[in-house]
Amino acid sequence: MDIINNLAFGFGHALTLHNLMYCAIGCMVGTLVGLLPGLGPLSTISLLLPLTYAIPTDGALIMLAGIYYGAQYGDSVSAITMKIPHASSIVACIDGYAMTLKGQTGLALFSAGISSFIGGTVAIVVLSTLAIPLGEVAFLFGPSDYCALMLLGFVCVSFVTTGGHMLNGLSMALVGVLLGSIGTDVISGSPRFTFDMIFLSDGVHLISVALGCFGIAEITKNLDSRNQFTPFSGSIKLIPTWPEFKRIIPSALRGSVVGSVLGLLPGGGPTLAQFGAYAVEKKFSKYKHEIGEGAIEGVAGQAAADEAAARTSFIPLMSIGIPENAVMALMMAAFIVKGIQPGPKMIGEHPELFWGLVASMWIGNVFLVILNVPLVKYWLSVFKIPYSALFPSILFFCCVGTFSLNNNLDDIYITAAFGLLGYMFLRLGLEAAPLMLGFILGPMLEENFRRAMLISRGSFSIFVTRPISGTLLALIAIFFIWQIVAFVRQVKKGTPAPAAPSH
Amino acid sequence: MWTNQKVMRGLALVAVSLFFGIQAYNLQLGTLARAGAGLFPLMISGAVGLIGIVMLIQARFEAPEPMGFGIRNISIIMASLIGFVLIAHFVKVIVAIVYLVFVAGLAAADYSVVRNVKISVVLIGIAACFHYFLGLNLPLL
Repeated sequence: MDIINNLAFGFGHALTLHNLMYCAIGCMVGTLVGLLPGLGPLSTISLLLPLTYAIPTDGALIMLAGIYYGAQYGDSVSAITMKIPHASSIVACIDGYAMTLKGQTGLALFSAGISSFIGGTVAIVVLSTLAIPLGEVAFLFGPSDYCALMLLGFVCVSFVTTGGHMLNGLSMALVGVLLGSIGTDVISGSPRFTFDMIFLSDGVHLISVALGCFGIAEITKNLDSRNQFTPFSGSIKLIPTWPEFKRIIPSALRGSVVGSVLGLLPGGGPTLAQFGAYAVEKKFSKYKHEIGEGAIEGVAGQAAADEAAARTSFIPLMSIGIPENAVMALMMAAFIVKGIQPGPKMIGEHPELFWGLVASMWIGNVFLVILNVPLVKYWLSVFKIPYSALFPSILFFCCVGTFSLNNNLDDIYITAAFGLLGYMFLRLGLEAAPLMLGFILGPMLEENFRRAMLISRGSFSIFVTRPISGTLLALIAIFFIWQIVAFVRQVKKGTPAPAAPSH
Repeated sequence: MWTNQKVMRGLALVAVSLFFGIQAYNLQLGTLARAGAGLFPLMISGAVGLIGIVMLIQARFEAPEPMGFGIRNISIIMASLIGFVLIAHFVKVIVAIVYLVFVAGLAAADYSVVRNVKISVVLIGIAACFHYFLGLNLPLL
């Protein structure tokens, strides 16, 4: 009963005119960036983060969350119609595009839209039942447990984003931690890595890092590759027949469960969830022999999982206070900018924020189904805007976003420097997403590490003897041993290791 | 060696590790129980350096991967951004926007003056909206 009361309370907040508007803006922007190649939720949230300083807290968070889950809808549309892969829609390209080739674009879009709706709804039920009990678990966490959890997050994110080459991602997360330590040391007050420059004494601003690595570096990478996509121009017949509709539902429900679970894990989120759901469909679906050649199940399952995971990934952030992937790290920054520390105390202290956000996710779900199913034709016309017209505008927004931090033009130099750095890392085959997570978690990691060592009087045994951190560190150890075994086997065979699909 | 992405990746990480590690070593380290400002960054730099070395060793056992580094586009983008700041400082933001669009446009697959004029007009309009409606303090005119 409590949940229904709480949700009703949340809807009361989410249904105000202002919050509805922010939710709609978030969903529209999310769909748009999901559709366009080369502009993901990470770069968009970093572009819009400075603008949210001016709007009220609940509205800002509702809008940013809308961008994140809205982008999951949008990118399946561009994957199905034009085979444009985004981080979280690689799987949609397989069966979705195969359906387009068979002339079933409308059916594929309908399946993806409805499944996403089902996935989102299931995830909201999970979110509203699990967040509070998990928050109580978080009170058992000591400093060493937090450290172990963050390290496990680094390892998992590295594994997921770099597709099996875990060291690449892990090194970026640690470089992020180092970048996060630039500025004044909070405990001793002495400056670190500032080269006696005053503007570095407060550290590097998150927005500069995010806009540099995800805005400027990505633009340059896209310009280098010069991909041209031909806009989709086929006809779209949206309404499915009853037997077709019946095939969507079981896959969508399976996908929702898989997605909700995988969204909760450290390093989890939409990217991991879609692969999980696709594998499940291949094994358990009644039509598994058709999957890969344009089956409804191949689209429905992954779309539901994608959307479910995008929402349940808010749970670790809001109940434990540790973001599990780079987008959630940016969301955490948005909370902190507004003076709210996400974590076990947040739900109790700001119930209107938590339940309002949860309720807004369902309202956003309704918006998105309308935007992406009946109105999908109009969205496809955005592909008529060439990238050459788009990227100077994105560069301009990067400049404005950086300027608005301190009303200082010189900050743009720092953003540009991070753009150069991010581009070099990209060319070295190193992903920027773990760097972002490391950058935001770095100061927390250091604080908890120093506290844990203070409690244990300088002995590392505290990390092994406490049950929570011991278990988490054991998981990390298993990951490493597995990697070493895989490498040794590969060297013996002399063939390249089977890398998980990366983006 | 200089064209193998795997070797360069390892070298870059070792360089980052040395850059932060040497500075951290010169800060107060303290003891494990009472860590100084430099201890934690030193440990992390050590880990980054270790990963770099492991990558260098791995690269010896694996097939090389070519390095693709396009100097042209990144230089154009950097020039457009730095020029934007300088012009906005010494002249006005309006001129800087036009400069940004025209210079960055050089990196596009096709160059069109008409299109650049259109983009500049739209962006100046957006900048004016930010300035007059959202209260952003851009030195516009």
